[in-house]
Amino acid sequence: MTRGGSLRTASVALGAGTLLAVPTWTGNEYVLALGVSFATFSVLASGLNLVYGYTGLLSFAQVGFFGIGAYTAVLLVLERGWSLWTGAAAGGVLAAAVGLVIGYSSLRLSRHAFAIVSLSFALLCMIVARDWVSLTRGSMGIPGLPTPTMNLPGGIHWRIAKPADFYYLLLGFACAAQAMIYVVVTSRLGRAMRAVKLNEALAQSQGINPLAYKLLALALSALLAGAVGGLFVFYLTIVDPSIFDFYYTETMLIMVIMGGPGSFWGVLLSTAVLTALPDALRFTTDLRMVLYGGVLIAVMLVFPGGLGGWLQRRRLARWRRPRSLPS
Amino acid sequence: MTAAPPVLDVRGLSKRYLGLTAVDDLSYSVEAGTVVGMIGPNGSGKSTSIDCISGFQPADGGQWFLDGRELTGLRPSQIAHAGLIRTFQNVRAYEEMTLLENLCVASQESDGVGWLRALGRGGRLRRAEAAAQARGRDLLASVGLAEYAGAPAAILSYGQRKLLAIAASMMARPRLVVLDEPVAGVNPTMIRRIEQVIHALNAEGVTLLIIEHNVDFVMSLCRRVIVLESGRKIADGPPGVIRSDPRVLAAYLGKTRATELAAGGV
Repeated sequence: MTRGGSLRTASVALGAGTLLAVPTWTGNEYVLALGVSFATFSVLASGLNLVYGYTGLLSFAQVGFFGIGAYTAVLLVLERGWSLWTGAAAGGVLAAAVGLVIGYSSLRLSRHAFAIVSLSFALLCMIVARDWVSLTRGSMGIPGLPTPTMNLPGGIHWRIAKPADFYYLLLGFACAAQAMIYVVVTSRLGRAMRAVKLNEALAQSQGINPLAYKLLALALSALLAGAVGGLFVFYLTIVDPSIFDFYYTETMLIMVIMGGPGSFWGVLLSTAVLTALPDALRFTTDLRMVLYGGVLIAVMLVFPGGLGGWLQRRRLARWRRPRSLPS
Repeated sequence: MTAAPPVLDVRGLSKRYLGLTAVDDLSYSVEAGTVVGMIGPNGSGKSTSIDCISGFQPADGGQWFLDGRELTGLRPSQIAHAGLIRTFQNVRAYEEMTLLENLCVASQESDGVGWLRALGRGGRLRRAEAAAQARGRDLLASVGLAEYAGAPAAILSYGQRKLLAIAASMMARPRLVVLDEPVAGVNPTMIRRIEQVIHALNAEGVTLLIIEHNVDFVMSLCRRVIVLESGRKIADGPPGVIRSDPRVLAAYLGKTRATELAAGGV
């Protein structure tokens, strides 16, 4: 293994260990809430990164998949008596199926058609959630979700009630989701996705079918976003049309752009920083959001292309530096 | 004589844009192991015909076959799978990828490793990747870019990118490579290098169709040249014959000057 590789492995192990140990140090609900938020957004942002950063499709549909997963899980658990696990999984599968439908219908036209369709889809989701009252109970939503339980291997009956329980649930899922995304982006499938983003015609001329890779990225990100929505909603204890709020879209877009589209670790890092940043700025309540905006602008001035883009430019500069000519 | 079918067989290819006929009932074939040149003035339909047979533009008429297998109407990726690889006039490369990655991508869809195996990372995938890297390094060496194998393609000059594109087109061991203007805008030293690379590849048995503006380059490289004008084939033969063909002279030089030359006996 290379030196950079082992350094990375060590820091990932350290980071994961620290995150897992947090509830043993503090029962502080606010800290755990930040952890839940980080875990949830990391799945949404990494999924968006897969679609936008690796495959080059600007998508506003993530929040739609997130909300579809949330509603599906809630309705199946409440009305059909499904378990949390199967309900969330079904939410993910339904979101992926919807993703394939909107992707297949719009991607055969163009990337721009897809961006527009994904935006309309997200807005439509909110309208459906508000107006299909017989299914979703309309704008009041479904409050007072029950405490979910989960049967773990070994006959343990886990009651997911305390903030620490949700913290472990979502962090555990986020780790599994990140691992899946990591396996894909570092495989030759990820390489083909980058090829499609960097030069679609060239990729086609080399036998790569762009539509297949775009749909794969979209379906995987929708599956994970739907499933995390199904889990996260029980932490919220309510599902209402605000689960489709533009706030989620905006936040995950900022995370991906700051981290650097197409950079797995960059986006993960920016998700962590941007989850903690609004909290770190709480010392000044009035100026908090102003400072947040200021930090965002400053980062974009220093790192256009995000953290990943900065690393890429440094790599380029190293190769462009004049070297002694080969004789 | 019952010869094997030609590598490429194009029959009656047509392409119209509104009122303009860009390619008009074009038929030609390319025999295995040859290097065929295709020349013609601006707007004669060279690139359009290539865009059609490689699936990037829908043709309005005609059929075309690779080794006797019909490719008409297939998607670009399917045509590439079938063994027809083309390069682009405006050079294309994956700028952020290293040169070696640029080459490995080019063969990954044709080495039979499916999606599940690609994720599983088993022995078959590792062998396929190792083979692609070895071939990639060989090809980089043969086009003189070996020292940049680990560099991002963005650092390459225009001429170097053309070499990279030629190397990439060979990765999947295609039946036919169509080079769209491989030397346009390239300096003379690089032109000689590209010429050597093409000779070397042809010696290995690769069949090539070369679309070019640079008439001298094509005449010195190819034993057979096809000339297009206004979407039609006006001449097809060895360079010596093409050079003195009155219709070719007229197409390139204008009717009057061509007649003068013909009379003066060039």
